[in-house]
Amino acid sequence: MAEFRAAKGDLVLENVTKSFTNFTAVDDLSMTVPRGAFFALLGPSGCGKTTTLRMVAGLEQPTSGRVLIGDTDLTGSRPYERPVNTVFQSYALFPHLTVRDNVAFGPKRRGAKDAQAQADATLALVQLTHLAGRKPTQLSGGQQQRVAVARALVNHPEVLLLDEPLGALDLKLRREMQVELKRIQTEVGLTFVHVTHDQEEAMTMADTVAVMNLGKIEQMGAPEVLYDLPRTKFVANFLGQSNLLSGHVDDTDGEHIIVSAAHHKLRLRKSRAAAGSGDIAFGVRPEKTRIHNTDPGASAAGNSIGPGTLLDVSFTGVATQYLVDVPDAGRWAVYEQNLDLDRIDSRPGDTVWISWDPGHAFGVRP
Amino acid sequence: MSALAHIGGSPSGTSTTAAPEPTKRGGMAAYLLLLPGLIWLLVFFVAPLVQLATVSLQSQFPGYPGYYYRNVDFGNYGRAIVEYWPHFVRSLLFAGLATFFAFVLAYPLAYAMAFKAGKWRGVMMICVIAPFFTSFILRTIAWRQILSDEGPVVSVLNFLHVLPGGHITETWVAVVAGLTYNFLPFMVLPIYASLERADPKIIEAGGDLYANGFTTFRTVTLPMSMPGVLAGTLLTFIPAAGDYVNAELLGSDISTKMVGNGIESQFFKVLGGYPIAAALSFTLMAVILALVFLYVRRYGTEELL
Ligand SMILES: Nc1ncnc2c1ncn2[C@@H]1O[C@H](COP(=O)(O)OP(=O)(O)O)[C@@H](O)[C@H]1O
Ligand SMILES: [Mg+2]
Repeated sequence: MAEFRAAKGDLVLENVTKSFTNFTAVDDLSMTVPRGAFFALLGPSGCGKTTTLRMVAGLEQPTSGRVLIGDTDLTGSRPYERPVNTVFQSYALFPHLTVRDNVAFGPKRRGAKDAQAQADATLALVQLTHLAGRKPTQLSGGQQQRVAVARALVNHPEVLLLDEPLGALDLKLRREMQVELKRIQTEVGLTFVHVTHDQEEAMTMADTVAVMNLGKIEQMGAPEVLYDLPRTKFVANFLGQSNLLSGHVDDTDGEHIIVSAAHHKLRLRKSRAAAGSGDIAFGVRPEKTRIHNTDPGASAAGNSIGPGTLLDVSFTGVATQYLVDVPDAGRWAVYEQNLDLDRIDSRPGDTVWISWDPGHAFGVRP
Repeated sequence: MSALAHIGGSPSGTSTTAAPEPTKRGGMAAYLLLLPGLIWLLVFFVAPLVQLATVSLQSQFPGYPGYYYRNVDFGNYGRAIVEYWPHFVRSLLFAGLATFFAFVLAYPLAYAMAFKAGKWRGVMMICVIAPFFTSFILRTIAWRQILSDEGPVVSVLNFLHVLPGGHITETWVAVVAGLTYNFLPFMVLPIYASLERADPKIIEAGGDLYANGFTTFRTVTLPMSMPGVLAGTLLTFIPAAGDYVNAELLGSDISTKMVGNGIESQFFKVLGGYPIAAALSFTLMAVILALVFLYVRRYGTEELL
């Protein structure tokens, strides 16, 4: 019988590819998850998140590439040989076992004498002690979710994989469990790889977010960094919302490049541009922009666009959202916090201009 | 099932909401919907049962074989058991063996159909069901040919010198083989259904939690299919214990007869045998019910009780 690999260290995926008969689900993916990190794998449905997790768990073998923990190559080993546990998307609890026996399952298989005691301690951690004697079918969705987490956690895996663990819960419970999972991760200090398609969930929970699309990682980093400086169009739109305008680099001006797009010359810091020449997409977040009913003039040259026609104004309480049609530049969104006492009084049909602080603009590959 | 479990389990922590009391009209509708079923049961199950019970207690007119009068004569039961206890033993033994062999054959087959067959699943399903399209009697007679002294099975076994008696038909081996064969689909189908319904992710979870292939089977797959195994063993054992066709067509004249053969001969071959036949039927029913009750109590899952 093959034996358990007690590997320790960072989780490393090296050029991992997974092809099914006529489809490549994961395409030459490389990433490193630091030991002890709360890592989120974020991407739309079908982008290969589950397949990636399954390769780490050993439930699927990569077509090519390697999966390592620390220096130990786990490629080709069986799931039960890996120091990795999974919280399945559908929980996959054993229906014939009680909650306690579900949680004790892993420790028992590894020959722990105190499997039941370990299970009880972990059930206490997820606050389920009072339900230990029940069967999974007698639990609510949220309770089943906690059992699934406890059943994986009890083994103290080197890496804990969570496949959209909160996807089946309603919004309120989901917010509660986000806080709860974060607390547990801090308490146990294990590496968590959390898969989700909810960008808000990824950003609130994780230290590092990897944005995945079509089987590849588009960009990886701290949530604030990803949000502030997206490097691809996909990231700019999947993580929050962006006003994007395609153009090309026309000129340079010291620390800035000049992007020519839709009859405007827009300034962009070199450090915030994905390319120094050629085609580029200029972007700025809606909440980083302001709206004006007069031309902001020369002082805002390069950091404004207009005139445009106001299409829609919606007041949401904290903010007012404007939708502006700028000729040849498409529709722009502007979110303004309701701070000003003398806010402009505008209504659909008005002619308006949009401006921003140059430090907030970014340039992504077209 | 979860509703039952809630009633049984201790609802600590969360509060179980009481089921809303059915309104009067709702209650009436439920009874009306039950009515056809109840009438059916009354006419086709309860009435014959009562009739059989009265027959089992009748007495013969002395000197007039074949004529009875209404009586409460429990002596019929005593006479039936004294005369037929070996048949009872054989019935239970043969049915038990057939159930065991059917399980041993059916589980791998059902497992393969559920997890390994892929596109062949439909074909395998048809193969399991197809025998039902021909008569039970015909198929059993066919087995008589297959197992006959000149048939392929005996020839091969004799050639290998592994058949002490020299033949299979007219022995208990043929009867058990026939029972196993005839009731195999009743074992395969419920086991297949329970395996097919199992979420493959649950079986993967076994591997993820450090159980190798065999341990996962023993601790996850097999327990999860227990409702199917239980249903299959009952669906095989109950009719096999009451069967008489296999013993009649494949067994010997005396030493392999089962209770069903006793009932059949008392009904159709012995003048004045009706009360004994009825008493045998009732005794068999009671024995099977008692065994099934004990079995389900011991191995039953919440889904069945
Ligand atoms: N066993 C499989 N055979 C064929 N295609 C598969 C298989 N598993 C996944 N896929 C395909 O791979 C793609 C990625 O799937 P998945 O990793 O489940 O995505 P996600 O979890 O991001 O929603 C999907 O298009 C899916 O249809
Ligand atoms: Mg998925």
